[in-house]
Amino acid sequence: MRLKNLALGFVSALLILSLGGAATAWAQESHPAGRTGYAYKDGPFEDSGKQLYGRYCIGCHGPEGDSNGENAPWIDPKPRDFTLAVFKCRSTPTGTLPTDDDLYNAITRGFVTTNMPAWKPLSPDQRANLIAYVKSFSPRWKAEKPGTPITIPPETPINIDSVLRGRALFQKMECWKCHGPAGHGDGPSASTLTDSKDNPIRPYNFSIGTRFKCGTTNQDLYRIFMTGLDGTPMPSFADVIKPDEAWDLVHFLRSLQLALPTQELALWKAYYAAHASEVKPIGPENAPGGGK
Amino acid sequence: MKVKYFLTFTVVVAASCLLVALFTSPAHSRAASVAASGSITGKITYTGTPPKAKPIDMAKEPSCAKQHATPVTTEEVATGPDNTLEYVVVYISSGDQAPSAPTEGARYDQKGCQYVPHVLAFQVNQDLQIYNDDQTSHNIHPLAKANQEWNKSQPPGTPPIDAKYAKPEFIPVKCNIHPWMHGYFAVLGTSHFAISDKDGIYKIAGVPAGTYKVTAWQEKSSPVTQDVTVAGGETKADFSFKVTPY
Amino acid sequence: MVLPALSKKALWTVASSTLSFIFLILAMLLGDSRPAYTLPIHKVTAIPAFARKYGLPCSACHEAWPKLNNFGMRFRDNGYQLMNDRDSPIWQNPSYWPVAMRITPYWHRESADHVPVDTIPGNGTSGTSEITMTSHGFDLSGLDLWTAGTLYKNISFSLLPSSDENASFHFENAFVRFDNIFGSSWLNFKFGKFELNNLISEKRFLFLSAQGGLYQVYHFATFEENNAALSGVNPLNPGFGIGDNQLGIELMGHNDNSYTRYSVALLSSNDGNVDIPNRTYDTYLTFDQAFSAGRLGVQRVGAFAYIGLRPTYGYTSGGTLIPGEGLGNKGFYRAGFTGDWYAGKFDFQTVFMHGWDNAYLGTVTPANQPLPAGGQAPTWNGGFVETHYTVNPKWILLNRYEIVRVSRQAFASDARNLGDLDTYSFGSRYYPIMYSRAGLALHAEYAITKSQATGPLGEDVWASSLFIGFDFDF
Repeated sequence: MRLKNLALGFVSALLILSLGGAATAWAQESHPAGRTGYAYKDGPFEDSGKQLYGRYCIGCHGPEGDSNGENAPWIDPKPRDFTLAVFKCRSTPTGTLPTDDDLYNAITRGFVTTNMPAWKPLSPDQRANLIAYVKSFSPRWKAEKPGTPITIPPETPINIDSVLRGRALFQKMECWKCHGPAGHGDGPSASTLTDSKDNPIRPYNFSIGTRFKCGTTNQDLYRIFMTGLDGTPMPSFADVIKPDEAWDLVHFLRSLQLALPTQELALWKAYYAAHASEVKPIGPENAPGGGK
Repeated sequence: MKVKYFLTFTVVVAASCLLVALFTSPAHSRAASVAASGSITGKITYTGTPPKAKPIDMAKEPSCAKQHATPVTTEEVATGPDNTLEYVVVYISSGDQAPSAPTEGARYDQKGCQYVPHVLAFQVNQDLQIYNDDQTSHNIHPLAKANQEWNKSQPPGTPPIDAKYAKPEFIPVKCNIHPWMHGYFAVLGTSHFAISDKDGIYKIAGVPAGTYKVTAWQEKSSPVTQDVTVAGGETKADFSFKVTPY
Repeated sequence: MVLPALSKKALWTVASSTLSFIFLILAMLLGDSRPAYTLPIHKVTAIPAFARKYGLPCSACHEAWPKLNNFGMRFRDNGYQLMNDRDSPIWQNPSYWPVAMRITPYWHRESADHVPVDTIPGNGTSGTSEITMTSHGFDLSGLDLWTAGTLYKNISFSLLPSSDENASFHFENAFVRFDNIFGSSWLNFKFGKFELNNLISEKRFLFLSAQGGLYQVYHFATFEENNAALSGVNPLNPGFGIGDNQLGIELMGHNDNSYTRYSVALLSSNDGNVDIPNRTYDTYLTFDQAFSAGRLGVQRVGAFAYIGLRPTYGYTSGGTLIPGEGLGNKGFYRAGFTGDWYAGKFDFQTVFMHGWDNAYLGTVTPANQPLPAGGQAPTWNGGFVETHYTVNPKWILLNRYEIVRVSRQAFASDARNLGDLDTYSFGSRYYPIMYSRAGLALHAEYAITKSQATGPLGEDVWASSLFIGFDFDF
C-alpha cells in the first residue's frame, strides 16, 4: 500500500515538475544549428550563457539586458533591448519572435555599421549558450513560440526585365519616400524617421552599402522586406508584395548598390546606357497620387 | 485506500472547475445585465493651460495636404468648448464581470494622412480592421509593449489589415513615412467603455448594478480613477484632468 | 613525442599550483635564500583605449588582460578593427582619447645564491666568498604609453613609447600595417618595429616578476654567449630573443575568424635595436591552426622557425672597433611548436623550442680566427607549460614550468649540464573592476629559477622573486 502511495506521489511529482520544467526549459535552452545552448548550466569545462554574457555583452547590453550598459549612452545605434523581445533580423513574420537560428546568425554575423561585433571567433556552443541567456530577459519567450519562418521560393532568373519590374515596384510601394529615388537614404521622410524608442534612425543607403545588417545574400534581402525590421520604421511588405514580385524587387535593389559589383548592376548599367531617355525618374512626379 | 482518495480529489476539483466556469460564463452576466442595468455618463474637463494645438504641415505629402482646406492641428490634447477634453477613454477598470464578446469589429482609418478616430477603443481579441483611404502608402506601426509590436506597409488600394490584440494596453500608433501621424489603440479588458466626444461627453451603457472603479485615460496625462455605484438609470461621473502647456 | 611527457608535467604543475598558492605566504615568511638574477621586467600590454572606442568590456577581447582570447585575437589580426565599417577614426567621437597608459607599483623580494663577494666587505684582498644576496622593498615598473588603432579603414598603426623604471624611454613598437590588401584577410603588410607573430606572446602574458616575467626559452643563450652579451664584448651582436620586438617587415594572413594564421617576416639582424649597423637579414615564419573541440572550446597548434645571422667581428682602426659594417656573419636558428589548449576554464599554453647556434657564435670567436679547440655548435631544447585557471573574468590563477636542456655545449670540455634551466612560477591576478574605461589588477607572483653549473665553482645557482603589485591601466 505504502509503495503504491509512494509511486503515485512520485509520478505526480514528476508530472508537475516536468510540466513546470517544460515551461521554463524553453527559455533556459536554445536549439540553434542542431546544438543545444544553456543559459544557466555550466561545468568545469564550460561557461554558461549567463557567464559568457557577463564577459562579452554586459558593457553595452547591460546586466538586465535592457540596453543600459555602461557604454550605451555613447554609442549609436543603441544596443538591442532584450527585455522587449523585438528583433530586427528574423526569418519570421513581423510581430513574432525570431527562431533560435535567427538569433544565432545575428550574433555570428554581427551588425555592420554598429558597435555589435561579429562573434564568430566564439565556439558554436558558446554562441548557443549566449542566445539561450538572451532569451531569459523577456517573459515573451515563455508565453509564445517563435513565428513560423516565411517560405522563400526559389529565386527567379536575373535579367533586365526583372530589374525593371522591380524598379516599378520600388516606385509603387513608395520605398523612395525613405530610401530616396536612388537609394541614398535621402527620401523626403528620411530625416524624420525614429525607431520604436524614439531615437533618430537613418534608412539604409544602398549606394555606399555593401552589406545589410541582416545578411549579405539575395535570400537575406528578400527576407528583410518580407518580414520587416521590427523595432524600426522598416515595415513588412509580406501582405502587399507577391513572391515573384519580391524577387524582382531584390534584383532591382542590387542595382542600387553601386559599391558592389553584381550581375544586376551590370545589367542596369547596360540598359541605362542604351535607354536613358525612356527611363522615368523615381519619385513624387510618378507617384500614383501625383504630385501635381 | 489512498488511491481512492486521489480519484475522489480529482473529481471534486474537476467539478468545482466546471462550477466556476458556469458561474463566470458570459451568458450569466448578460442575464444579470438585462435584469438591472444602468449607464455611466459624464463630462471630461481640464484645469490648467493645455498645450497649443499646432498646425501640421503636410507639404511633404501633397496628396494629403490638398485634402485639408485649412491645415489640421495636433490632437494630443484635443479640447472642446468649456474646457472639455475629447478622446478621453473612460472604462471600468475594476469590479466588472468578464467582457461579453463584441458583436462587430473595430475600424481604424488612415484618411487625409490622419488617424480617424484619433483614439480607437476596442476589446481584447476583438477583430480590428485598418483601412488606408489615401492615395499614398502608409505604414501602420502600433508600438505595443505588452502585445506584439508589428509594422506593415499598406499601399493605396490594398485590402484592409486585420489585427487582434490579446492583452489590454494603450498602444501608440504611428506612421514612419508621415511623422505627424499619431494615434492610439485603447485595448481594453472590459466591454464597458466609451470615448468622450468633441463636447467632452461620454456615455457607457448597459452596465449592471454594482460598485465599480472607473478610470479615465488621456494620452498625455496620468489616468484618473473614481468609484462609481450604478443602480439602474444614469449615474453621473465627471472627470477632471490637470493639463500643462508642455 | 613531446606531448605525453608534457602532459605529465602539466598534471604535476596543475596540482602544484593549487598547493603552492596556499604556501605563497609561507614562502614569504620562510625567507629562503634563492639567487637574484635580475633580468628586466618585460612589460606587457593591454589597451583600455580600444574598450573606450568600441564600448566592449576588457573581458570581451582578453581572457584576463593582457592575454587575448579568440575574439581579441581576431580583432588584432584585423588590424585592431571590428570590421563593421565603423573602424576608421572619422567615426569616433572627437573627444575619444586613444592612448592607454600602464604601470605597476609593487613590492618585491629578490634573492640569489652563490654570489661571489669579498670575504670582508670593503677589503679587496680578503679573498672571495659565496653568499646569498637578498633584497626587498617597494619599487616601480616602467611605464607603457600605448596608442594603437586605425589611421583609416584598413590602415592600422601602433606606437608604444615605453620607459624603464627610471623613466628612460625607448620605442617598444612603432609600425604601420596595411590590412586586408585586395580585400583579402590573407594579405596584411606590417612595416616598422613590432612583436613577432608568436602564438604564445611574451608581450601579452601574465607574469611580472624578475624571474618569472620572461619566457626563459625565448631568450636562452648558452653560458659563454650569455656572458658575452652581458659584458658587451661585441657591440655589433646584440644577442637574440624571439620575444623581443624586431625591426623589419611582415606579411601576415588569417582566415575570416582567425582560426588559420600564417606570417612571414624579414627582419634586420639587430634584435630590434636601432642604430646597430648590419648588412644581414633574418627571417621568421609561423603557422598556426585552431579547431573547435566541442564543449571544451577552441584549441590551437602552431609551428615557428627563426633563421638569422649575427656578425662576429667588425672593422677596426688602430685596434678599436669602428661602428660600421658587421662582418663574419654566422647563422643560428630557433624552431619549434606551440599550442594553446582550452578545457573550459582551464587553458594550457605549451611551447617546444630547439635552438642551434653556429660554433663561432657559440664560442664567441670572431670568424676571421680559428675556432678554439673543442669548440662546436651548441644546440639546446627547451619548452614550457603554462597553465591558467580563469575562475571568472575577474580572477585568473597562473602557473608555469619551464625547462631548457643544452644538448650540445659550445665547448666539449663544458659540464654536460652547464646552463640548463628550470623555472617554476605561480601567480594570481585579481581584477576588482572590469569596466571599459580602465583596468586594475592585484598581482601576486612567486618564481624561482635554477641555473645548473653556472656558479663560480660550477654549482647550481638558484634565484627567486616574490612580487605583489597593483597593475593599472588607463
